[in-house]
Amino acid sequence: MDKRTNEEWVADLRAGGDRQALALEDLRAIILRGLPYAIAGRLNPNSPESEALTEEVVQETLMRVLQYLDTFEGRSQFTTWAHKIAVRAALTELRRVRWREVPLPEMEMNDEADTSYRELPDEQASPEEQLSRTEMMSRVNQIIMEELTEKQRKALMGIMEGFPLEEAAQRMGTNRNALYKMLHDARLRLKKRLEKEGLTPQEILAVFEQAGK
Amino acid sequence: MNIKQFILRIFGSKKQKTASVGMPASQSKKMQKMMAMLSNTREVELTCDEVFALLDQFTELAAQGEDVRKLMPLVQQHLDMCEDCREEYRVLESILNATA
Repeated sequence: MDKRTNEEWVADLRAGGDRQALALEDLRAIILRGLPYAIAGRLNPNSPESEALTEEVVQETLMRVLQYLDTFEGRSQFTTWAHKIAVRAALTELRRVRWREVPLPEMEMNDEADTSYRELPDEQASPEEQLSRTEMMSRVNQIIMEELTEKQRKALMGIMEGFPLEEAAQRMGTNRNALYKMLHDARLRLKKRLEKEGLTPQEILAVFEQAGK
Repeated sequence: MNIKQFILRIFGSKKQKTASVGMPASQSKKMQKMMAMLSNTREVELTCDEVFALLDQFTELAAQGEDVRKLMPLVQQHLDMCEDCREEYRVLESILNATA
């Protein structure tokens, strides 16, 4: 039975005994219907890993639903709220699996890479364009080095490399929320410094968009 | 690490050169990505936790065809900035669309 009102869901889940057990069983079925949408394209849905992940996520979701039941404010359908918790749990685990072998980019460089820096501009751009882009990149990176902390640079580098925030945070010994705040502060600093230097992100963007034409 | 090394590290290496542009496409794309992020940066932004608290409501409104960009602009702005939250929103959206 999944046609309960929000109030009925909350009351049944708080009731304890058979009433609570039945509500949990119904909620489990609802979550199981939603999880394939989280797994699709990320894990073979017929694999043993997928089966194990589904069971783990369902258990975790039911536990969290009970734990955070008091925080449900009824601004959405109760089932949407429960799906939201399941989606977060599923994607967190899928990201962990997907990125577990990938180290967060380190900042140390070697000589070979350093050599390649001198080869960045290629012969197909005009000398003016090459100069403009190279100078702009150099200027932006000077600002990054001056304005951001080592941690902020590391986080920024991870995100630019496509790291999920959650995974980058875990490796940096923090959490996703705190890392977002740190990156927000970093973005604000860079934006303000660019403004001070008479540059806007849009102007810089225009220089680099020309490179793709 | 000096500035030159950092530039290279964050914007790519010679292995990623393209044939048609003045610098490697990966470098240019990363710079574009960063500038797009800066351009979209606001003084006040919601955090991932704050967005998570509103995501069920936001997704239902969007599924109902409401103009969520106007109704909940800070949530939309965060989703534009945060790949993790955006991914979670899209999955939740697909669940709601499929089970409506």
